[in-house]
Amino acid sequence: MENKFKFLTKHSLKKKIKNKWFLIANIVVAIVAIALVNIDSIVTMFGGDFNKPLKINVLDNTGYYENIKTNLKGVEGYLGTSKLKIAKASDIKKSKKEIKDTKDILLVINPDDVNVFNVEFITDSYVDTVKYQAIIASLNSTKQSIALDLSGIDKEKLNGISAPIEIKRSFLSEEKTEDEENTRTLLSVASLIIALPCFMLIMYLVQMIGAEINEEKSTRGMEIIIGNVSPKTHFFSKILSSNLFVLIQGGLLLIYSGVGLIIRKLTTTSSHQGMEAIKEAADSLDLSGVLEMIEKSGILNKLGYIIPLIIILLLLSFLAYSLLAGILASMTTNMENYQQLQTPLMVISVAGFYLILISAMFPGAVFVKIASVIPLMSISLAPSLLLSGEIGVGLIIVAILLLALLNFILIKFGLKIYKVGILNYSESDLWKKMFRAVKEK
Amino acid sequence: MLKVKNVTKYYGEFKAVDDLSFTVDKGEIFGLLGVNGAGKTTTFRMIMNLINPNDGLITFNGKKIDYDVTDKIGFLTEERSLLTKLTVKEQILYYGALKSLDEETVLKRLDKLLERFNISEYKDRKINTLSKGNQQKVQFISAIINEPKLLILDEPFSGLDPINIELFKSVILELKEKGTSIIFSSHRMDHVELFCEKLVILVKGKEVLGGYLKDIKKDYKIKKIIIEGDVKISELKRIDGVINATKTASWYEVNIKDESYVAAVFDYLKTKKNITKFVLEEPSLEEIFVAKVGEAYGE
Repeated sequence: MENKFKFLTKHSLKKKIKNKWFLIANIVVAIVAIALVNIDSIVTMFGGDFNKPLKINVLDNTGYYENIKTNLKGVEGYLGTSKLKIAKASDIKKSKKEIKDTKDILLVINPDDVNVFNVEFITDSYVDTVKYQAIIASLNSTKQSIALDLSGIDKEKLNGISAPIEIKRSFLSEEKTEDEENTRTLLSVASLIIALPCFMLIMYLVQMIGAEINEEKSTRGMEIIIGNVSPKTHFFSKILSSNLFVLIQGGLLLIYSGVGLIIRKLTTTSSHQGMEAIKEAADSLDLSGVLEMIEKSGILNKLGYIIPLIIILLLLSFLAYSLLAGILASMTTNMENYQQLQTPLMVISVAGFYLILISAMFPGAVFVKIASVIPLMSISLAPSLLLSGEIGVGLIIVAILLLALLNFILIKFGLKIYKVGILNYSESDLWKKMFRAVKEK
Repeated sequence: MLKVKNVTKYYGEFKAVDDLSFTVDKGEIFGLLGVNGAGKTTTFRMIMNLINPNDGLITFNGKKIDYDVTDKIGFLTEERSLLTKLTVKEQILYYGALKSLDEETVLKRLDKLLERFNISEYKDRKINTLSKGNQQKVQFISAIINEPKLLILDEPFSGLDPINIELFKSVILELKEKGTSIIFSSHRMDHVELFCEKLVILVKGKEVLGGYLKDIKKDYKIKKIIIEGDVKISELKRIDGVINATKTASWYEVNIKDESYVAAVFDYLKTKKNITKFVLEEPSLEEIFVAKVGEAYGE
């Protein structure tokens, strides 16, 4: 029976990998993954309005043009890839004509007895909020510095007022550091990026198990198979092969992302040719900087147990999803029915994914913390919350224990359903049959 | 020897098989007959250890059927049991491995069987590209690739033309000669009659008739007389002991209650001219089947 288990697992895995659709899907996934890593370069390459320089014409009636120009240069930081051009205008009619049918901005600065100066903000089109707020902030800053200057405060004091505030970050607990705080923020963002492929792999897993079991069930082939191997052997061979496949696919995704990063480096910093350029790109990948930051923050010691806990959570979640998918697939008689029955699984997974986004809006939300230990949802939520410091290791262990309990229940009772389900070809009294199967000793 | 002893199977409240018993000896072909829903498939599933009986015992060569025993059993299901996206070779290798056979043995046997069934050229073709008849041949090959000691054939001739039916018949008889015990289910009584020495007729899961075919026919009182000549149906029906009289294209068939009424029919024919044929025949299995099943449903 052990040999038959090995054979079934190998056969199922081989069937999935030695398949032209696996190759085609991976070519597409590789292209998409590499493109996503380099999405900014691709978008820039095609160009668009964002790429055009933003021109701000300043019609100054106050004599503060240079102060205004100096502060407006700071707006460039909010413009992404496009450049900022600031020009002095002299005639309002001519300036208005110039900005007609463009995205350019005309600022008319007029003297004001109370407020130093006031501004007329003129455009031909709508201005996005970020740009608008950045320009207004810059003008406010100019106005304040001119007002301070006019108030007769000495230069040293004035510099003190204008200088950015000095912040010294400190923690009551000696274990906590600012570097760790920054690293946690970085890791929680990274875990968000990882959650999406995980969600994709779970979808893969659920679909694949359902399709394979339904294919065998669609003919009486299942009777021949179950006549020669126990339902338990058959079930676990499907679970193991599908999970192995998903892990292989996950590994490939990592490789595609790595290739994408190398391409990114090659296209942005290539002073050398051929292999040397690739080596240089690989050496200077952002990852090394991240690792350095992690090391400096001292979180590395904590990652020593955080990463294994997350891996255990991931593997147990994959197992739970695959067990559920296998049990549901055994109950259905065709792929259409299975698609309907597996919808709740997908909804749970999506809900977990949405809750990550919600957790950022409601820091410390008890509801999100409770959701983070609920099996099937925990894989989406718990790693992100743990890395951002929202939850501690204790809750992760609770999530793992609950998942282990769910898997135990699924194996204990699910196998009974599977045994009856895979040889059931009728929709009538389906749930009655399944409940009866669970009750059987 | 396969021994099915007092086996009962319930699906919920529904009794699918009711206290069924029979044996199939080595090299014997056994017929399991019944209308749709009579309990044949449930019985096959219990023999294959796919489901457990609620009561009774099934053994093969004295051993309770488990996965070691099913390695020695071949099973041809009534409906298609092939994974149609595989090639013929992949399919047989797959089922062969499930029977604990190594690849080399399977391939060696496969080549011989493909040749025997005249489908060698389809070895690397996907099953879904084959005709229904050729798929049935592949399915049959998959059932006998393990050279089974017990072979279960559920409607083996389904989808076959007369030439291929003859081919299947000869292979089945070869297996019998080699000592394979065969359980056979078919709606075609002429096929059952040709093969089976022993049979059971099931109605609503219960045996209504069973034993050796020759004994069943002998014990079945109603006989049939074939007459060729100038007779009248209405007159035949009036003879004492005649149950029914019908006219076929070439002759008259007269059913009598038992052999003792042959003389009465013969006396009637003596009064007629141009009688060219008068034969007393055993009833066909189909007639016995229809009568027995009808009786059971009439109760």
